[in-house]
Amino acid sequence: MAVSSRESRRVFLKRTALGAAGTLLAPSIVRAAPKSMTMMHESSFVPPYDAFFKNKLASAYEKLTGIKINYDVVSVGSLQTRVTTAAENGSGPDMTHIGFNWAFLFDEKFVDVSDIAAEIGKESGGWYESAAESVVVNGKWKAIPFGAIGQLMNWRTDWFKEAGYDKFPDTWDELLEAGIKLKKAGHPFGFELGHGFGDNHGWIYPLMWSFGAREVEADGKTIVIDSDETARAVDYCRRLYKETMLEDCLGWTDVNNNKAFLSEQISCTNNAESILWSAKKDFPDMAKVIDQSQNPQGPKGRFHMLNPLCHAIFAHTPDHKAAKDFLRWLMKPEQAGAWYDVAVTYYQPFLHAYDTAPMWKVEPRNLPYRDALKTAHLPGWPAPLSRAQSETIAKFVIIDMFAKACAGKSTKEVIADAKGQLKQIYRQA
Amino acid sequence: MTAAAAPALERRRPAFSFGRWLEREGVFSWLMVAPPVAFLVALVGYPFFYGIWISLQNRPVAKAGEFVGLDNFVAAWHDPVFRLVVLNTFVYTIAATLLKMVGGLGLALVMNQDFRFRNLTRALLLLPFIVPTVLSTIAWQWILDPAFSVINWALMYTGIANPGPSWLGNPYLAMFSLIIVNTWRGLPFYAITLLAGLQTISPELYEAATIDGASPWQRFRYVTLPLLKPVIFIVTMFSVIFTFADFQLIYVLTRGGPANATHVFATYAFDIAMGAGQFGQGAAIALSMVPPLALIILAMAIYMRPSKS
Repeated sequence: MAVSSRESRRVFLKRTALGAAGTLLAPSIVRAAPKSMTMMHESSFVPPYDAFFKNKLASAYEKLTGIKINYDVVSVGSLQTRVTTAAENGSGPDMTHIGFNWAFLFDEKFVDVSDIAAEIGKESGGWYESAAESVVVNGKWKAIPFGAIGQLMNWRTDWFKEAGYDKFPDTWDELLEAGIKLKKAGHPFGFELGHGFGDNHGWIYPLMWSFGAREVEADGKTIVIDSDETARAVDYCRRLYKETMLEDCLGWTDVNNNKAFLSEQISCTNNAESILWSAKKDFPDMAKVIDQSQNPQGPKGRFHMLNPLCHAIFAHTPDHKAAKDFLRWLMKPEQAGAWYDVAVTYYQPFLHAYDTAPMWKVEPRNLPYRDALKTAHLPGWPAPLSRAQSETIAKFVIIDMFAKACAGKSTKEVIADAKGQLKQIYRQA
Repeated sequence: MTAAAAPALERRRPAFSFGRWLEREGVFSWLMVAPPVAFLVALVGYPFFYGIWISLQNRPVAKAGEFVGLDNFVAAWHDPVFRLVVLNTFVYTIAATLLKMVGGLGLALVMNQDFRFRNLTRALLLLPFIVPTVLSTIAWQWILDPAFSVINWALMYTGIANPGPSWLGNPYLAMFSLIIVNTWRGLPFYAITLLAGLQTISPELYEAATIDGASPWQRFRYVTLPLLKPVIFIVTMFSVIFTFADFQLIYVLTRGGPANATHVFATYAFDIAMGAGQFGQGAAIALSMVPPLALIILAMAIYMRPSKS
């Protein structure tokens, strides 16, 4: 017994040692430059959109050039982690879908694509101004904007009609008035005030801007959150919450308002086109009484949040030109137009050539999303993208300022809190 | 020694044999210990020290770092959200751990009795621990959703409350709900471990105590509890560490909202490091959890030290 166990132990050790040595000594394999490139993309809310790239676009490009394009789909919410990993390690996909302020965050790790951006703009009727706002860092285009995922008002026409409204209220004050009536009738509003990403920023920033408030001036340094305009916006928001909404909105993340709307709990929310999409698919009767409108205007105008989807090329990609050639080809009207069509305006083009594209006729209720692009800005506007701005977002400084007021804190207190946080973030404390 | 005991063997001993060398106690034990040590150094030690290094830098994502000393820790200290995060983490950990300890002990005592379907019940008890956290948390998301919540449905149906409470929307209820979910998930770990501990206690001790006239409470207080103390200590230590560093459950349910009411170290560090791309600050926040955790464990070790007498 003892002998056999010693024997097997010896054999085991020898084998392990030999195996380890073998691995170390194995000749390192030199790989030839691959004839393929990989595009990383967050899984789309519109399934045919991903399928179209994989089945149609990728194979068409391979037929044309012999270069295989892999489409690497990442689950919703994990794209930024994946982009971070690829950028930090300098390996992984060649191109990626990016959003929000990532052009700034990953600046040096993305290839300058100003040249093809100019060509694409010239070819397709020119870029919307918000395109540059999404991707230009230090005067360079760090990605090619593909489409905006607008955040607009989604509302129930039948219930609004019962309350005496044939069209969506044009001002925030009128919206409050309508909301009070609707809540009394058992159809409260529901706007996200929690720590999601899209649906809270989608209305809080526009609300703040339309009251003339902002966190930092365009110089990116002067903190101006402590203003009468902010106070008015906060006071308004508290009333809107208390008098029109469900209490639960404070804890919502991005999925909750969709669920509440589709289960007929709320009569109005701020969202992308996804509610109408889902309703048409699963609740056709409800879909007939849903409409979408631009955000109401305040004393200083009407605003929307900019939520861009862009394509960037990683600097670690061996062949920058090949990747640029692909993006250039992708943005040609034959390809890009067909890809937009598949998602039927879920991604609103940043190029004026598509302003009158047939896809806008498929669902005229989506038209406000096209028009909202002119007044859309990134959170933190009018300050340029910066480290401090992205920290402000990640710390939910603005969202929480409003949320705390809704939960009962005084306007003065919440503004002082936000100011203190901003001073600390902008290193002025 | 071998030589003295067996001179015949000594005569035939070869000059040096690799195989024999490997078999020597000292060498063999080190060989066996080396892989796990290497594993720990690579997957725990290296990231930990790299984390410390990063926390001393202004290190934005995808950019080179710049050494700033303790700036990130000072900044965190002046950050009101960070202080709230510290408070939240302590409330969450202490409340959940106490609930798990009391509940787990109760469950273990019940499971230690004789009853029908005892083994089946014991197996079922483990379910919350077996189901992946993300999945069970999504189920909880539905349970706590005011529109679809079974709890709220029951409250409304019985006329107790209409509308039902906002489990994740109210800052205090949100923390309460997270503590309950964490307790639900961690209870089986406590119960099973304590049950194992209970089964090692010799029945003779109970018999002796009973003969001496000890009441059931006295038997529990003077026999069960002292003998179970080492197990309670170990299981509580594990639980404190896991609860203190919890991430998944909170991230799925509230992402730290409403208004940071449920942000804890791990979720806040993740938002700062990944969301804002501030690795230095994120690392500093994550590392700030080490000293209080070490203190808690030290305090527990002193308090729950098995008495030598």
